[in-house]
Amino acid sequence: MTDNADTVNSADNLQNKRWLKAQKSLAGSTLSQSVAMGAIAGILLIGQAALMAWIVDKVMFSDWSLKQCQPYLLTMLALILSRSLFSRFSERLAFEGAARIKISLRDQLLRRLYQLGPCYINNERSAEISNCLHNGIDALEAYYARYLPAVAFSSLIPLAILVVVFPLDWKSGLIFLVTAPLIPFFMILIGSQAEQLNQQRWRALARMGNHFLDLIQGLTQLKLYNASRREIDTVAQVADQYRHSTLSVLKVAFLSSLALEFLATISIALIAVIIGFRLYWGEMNFGMGLMVLLLAPEFYQPFRNLGTQYHARMEGISAAEKMLEILNANVPDQPSASDTDKASNSNILHQVQSISLENVHYSYSPDRPAIQGININITSPGLYALVGESGAGKTTLVEMLLGFISPQKGHIKINQQPLQQLGVHLWRQQLAWIPQSPQLFSGSIIDNIRLGNTAADLDSVKRAAEKAGASTFIDAFPDGYNTQIGEQGTGLSGGQRQRIALARAFLRKSTVLILDEPTSHLDPESEHLIQQSLKLYAQEHIVIVVAQRLHTVRMAERIFMMSSGLLLESGNHQQLLAKNGHYARLIAGKRPE
Amino acid sequence: MKDLLRLLALSRSRWLWMSLGILLALVTVIANISLLSISGWFLASMAVAGIAGISMNYFTPAAIIRFLAILRTAGRYGERLVTHDATLRLLSDLRVWFYRRLEPLAPAQLQNYHSGDLLSRIQADIDTLDNFYLRLLLPSVVALIGIPLVVIIIALYDHTIAGLTLAALLLVGVAIPLQLANRTRKKGKQLITESAALRTALIDGVQGMRELIIYDATERHSDHCLSLSQSYTDLQRQINRASSSSQALTLLVINICVWISLWLLIPQVASTARPPVELAMLILLVMASFETVLQMPLAFEQLSTTLTAARRLFSIIDTKPRRKEPGKSSPALQRCDLHLDNISFDYRDNDYPDNDPQTCTPNKNGVLNRFNLTIGQGEKIAILGPSGAGKTSITHLLLGFWQPQQGSISIGGYNIDDFYSEDLRRHFSVVSQHSYLFANTIRHNLLLGNPQADQAMLDHACRVAGLDTFISTLPDGYDTWLGETGRGLSGGQSRRIAIAQAIIKQAPVLILDEPTEGLDPITEAKVTEALLEAMKERTVILITHRLTMLEAMDNIAIIENGSVVEIGNHQQLNKTSKRYQNLLSYF
Repeated sequence: MTDNADTVNSADNLQNKRWLKAQKSLAGSTLSQSVAMGAIAGILLIGQAALMAWIVDKVMFSDWSLKQCQPYLLTMLALILSRSLFSRFSERLAFEGAARIKISLRDQLLRRLYQLGPCYINNERSAEISNCLHNGIDALEAYYARYLPAVAFSSLIPLAILVVVFPLDWKSGLIFLVTAPLIPFFMILIGSQAEQLNQQRWRALARMGNHFLDLIQGLTQLKLYNASRREIDTVAQVADQYRHSTLSVLKVAFLSSLALEFLATISIALIAVIIGFRLYWGEMNFGMGLMVLLLAPEFYQPFRNLGTQYHARMEGISAAEKMLEILNANVPDQPSASDTDKASNSNILHQVQSISLENVHYSYSPDRPAIQGININITSPGLYALVGESGAGKTTLVEMLLGFISPQKGHIKINQQPLQQLGVHLWRQQLAWIPQSPQLFSGSIIDNIRLGNTAADLDSVKRAAEKAGASTFIDAFPDGYNTQIGEQGTGLSGGQRQRIALARAFLRKSTVLILDEPTSHLDPESEHLIQQSLKLYAQEHIVIVVAQRLHTVRMAERIFMMSSGLLLESGNHQQLLAKNGHYARLIAGKRPE
Repeated sequence: MKDLLRLLALSRSRWLWMSLGILLALVTVIANISLLSISGWFLASMAVAGIAGISMNYFTPAAIIRFLAILRTAGRYGERLVTHDATLRLLSDLRVWFYRRLEPLAPAQLQNYHSGDLLSRIQADIDTLDNFYLRLLLPSVVALIGIPLVVIIIALYDHTIAGLTLAALLLVGVAIPLQLANRTRKKGKQLITESAALRTALIDGVQGMRELIIYDATERHSDHCLSLSQSYTDLQRQINRASSSSQALTLLVINICVWISLWLLIPQVASTARPPVELAMLILLVMASFETVLQMPLAFEQLSTTLTAARRLFSIIDTKPRRKEPGKSSPALQRCDLHLDNISFDYRDNDYPDNDPQTCTPNKNGVLNRFNLTIGQGEKIAILGPSGAGKTSITHLLLGFWQPQQGSISIGGYNIDDFYSEDLRRHFSVVSQHSYLFANTIRHNLLLGNPQADQAMLDHACRVAGLDTFISTLPDGYDTWLGETGRGLSGGQSRRIAIAQAIIKQAPVLILDEPTEGLDPITEAKVTEALLEAMKERTVILITHRLTMLEAMDNIAIIENGSVVEIGNHQQLNKTSKRYQNLLSYF
């Protein structure tokens, strides 16, 4: 079982890795340029070491004076300067490449999400998804700008050093050659296990952190129950427990870096000793020996860098998982009309006269239909109310009217034409929608009202706000319509936010308005104003309300009473009361009589 | 500096482990420096001896080289273990310390930190402090001891080169990182703002997707996000450029220092003032000496984030609890009638150390204005009114979480200020839609208010709350783990747990704050039933707008704009009050 899960997991990983590699093309040639610059810096480093060893050799054994050395010293200085330039360019280009990939992917993903539509993101996941677009994408920077170049350098630079060292001293070359593959070998062998252990360790730390966060968030609850002081001991206990378990894990995890360190350091020591003896026996020139010693740490450095960038790889791969999930998701079939039809369709949809649902079905899972056999026919302007307890299917019906889901059976027809043929895009141009808690976007109030009609001038915005009962409180702000509203529209009450959303809908001048009444009490003033403006708007437009208030249903032209996905009754308040059926029971249960 | 010293004082108790870690780090660094320079000396001596044909004792240096290699490797391993152990110990100390200080402030003085985001920031701040020792203190002390050590050793051979190396070490270890920090400080702050703007736009764009699609604004919003993403990346680019320049500069300084040393040493060797063997050794010693400051750029990077995190935590910690505990023991109560006398109250608060104008906007909601209410022993009263009218404020005041600006509250004839906080809260049980369940077992959650309660009590409470059948279906029963790692509960189930919690606490006054809000009608009916059962023989304050519960109450107080405007029982109000009828006209 676990084996199986592992292979599935690694297949996923492979796919993520492949995808990540493929995205390199978004950076153009910057990433390869960066690697090339870095490689040149590496070659300059070898030159610098050789030159230095040579100068030292000449001074020590050929009694060169400073004057004789000067040209070589100056060349060495030139190498030093150009190396620092090349490595700086390499860094910059690596960032540039990563930046291009990040910007492009973030944009692609967001646009893709809009194609996928809101049904792909149920509300609980919205935080997770926006986090993927922000931090997830940022995590890719380390992958492209640091990990990938580190991979390239770990093969290029040691290879270049080997090519130089082997002809000079094959024994040292052999030590390099033997230990070099051992390092990746150890990294993979211990590393993969250490990686798991390391992840366990981070999970353990995260769990401890979560425990603490749990306590802080529940602090009021703890105080209510006089349990807050008792918890001090648990904090210490949990932390200590984790310290013990974590440390035993760490001992193993650090073994991998121990192995790396050991190989590199012991090799340098070994090379120093071997070269020393060869020099003693006169088998070798001192300059060459010194050069090999100088290059030895540089030979291992790229592997160490790779080791430190390894977590960038893990982070990149796990971030890629969510991105791939979004990019690979199926875009729902959106009814969209061909271009030739569009002109005639927009004629048909110029004004919505009728909306009809014919025997409409929808279910999220096969065994549990959300709505079934719904027939609704709206042929004139007015206020229409959807009523029923939660789970009755009202939300599904609204989602369908908004075009986010299509009926699995039956049809929605607008002006006698099936919505499938008209295209959901044209239909939405006739729509305005206000959810229970409307989203206000960070920006000015005027921009929020103009969301669906950017061309509108200040006068029409003011008129819309007035109709929505929002003008008084907006005028009271020092900045009026230019007042900035922050995250989630802080500073505005629920009723005020509703009224801004209403102004937004009115300014759109759409023929159909769909509104989800909030279940919580708004302040009495807002309640009253919203009711009045809806009544007015319904005189010339079709207004469909998922109703929570008795006032609203009393005003309604027609009430659709739903229960368990079925449309049970329809008619106005008086008619339905007279029927003495489900509606009458619903009203009786809630209303003081 | 003061904050740094304060941090140091906090970690005082772990000084032994911390010093051991620093010692091991030093040993590792010195072993590496010696390894390279002795290797250089060894190579040169062997070459000289080989050419001159003199014999030399090569066993000792060869053995020293191997010993140093092993010392370095082992030292690094030991260092990691010890430093991580010390860090973990510090971490638990810090959390306990922080929690101890935070506890008296909740919830009134934490209202600015109430959203989950801010609380996670507190969590992140403590995580940042974990770096204090590992990334900041350790490298600094290693540099502080290591720099003089290597400079003195070099000075034994040549004062000029020692001075040069000291200057280069200070450049690489202090000046360049400091200059980078100064250059990027402003940009770093800007980056946080830009990052927040991008995050907000992305959250807006995902949460508000329906609106954007319907209002045909997705294209526009995508473009908006793209431009924010570009300017955010531009800022990152500027910071990256500064840091890559300073890295290149570091490399340059190290190499030029070696180069100048070489330039200075050549004439000395040529004039035979210095034995040639020392040339190779000194050059390698100068090169390797930079290992002492290798971690310093990172330390400087950590400095500002660590200090910011520390300051934020200190600013919370330094807040004085506003409720004054009485000097003498709390009075013993015979009865539990409640009197709220002429209370005026709002949530405005001006004594926060970091007074953030965005979160500190005076809140017009929940204001009480000359509010009077008397609740008799055993009376069941409902409080009704639109949201923001001040209903929840009443419970906050009763529990002593907030203090009224004017007026007094008494319980059983004693002013609530005469009670210790815990003694006061002993008299109340609260069930609200905000009841918090901890990531722990069901049993742990149930026993929160009364850890001594026996199994019979638990069973009884769960029966009343209608939880018994649900718990009996769980394989682990009461020991089922809840929360992120455990079992998720439905809204109704968690509300029932809150009710059972309240019953087990056995407090004489039961406060129910919209206890059925957010539940579906069937669940609501069942929870209501459980609540009516739990209310028996208790004083009850109920905040609701649900008819079924209102009918069971002795009195209903309607509040508007912070004072009681009407009071009466259901029958009376339903006949006479237009307000009452309006408030109830919901589905």
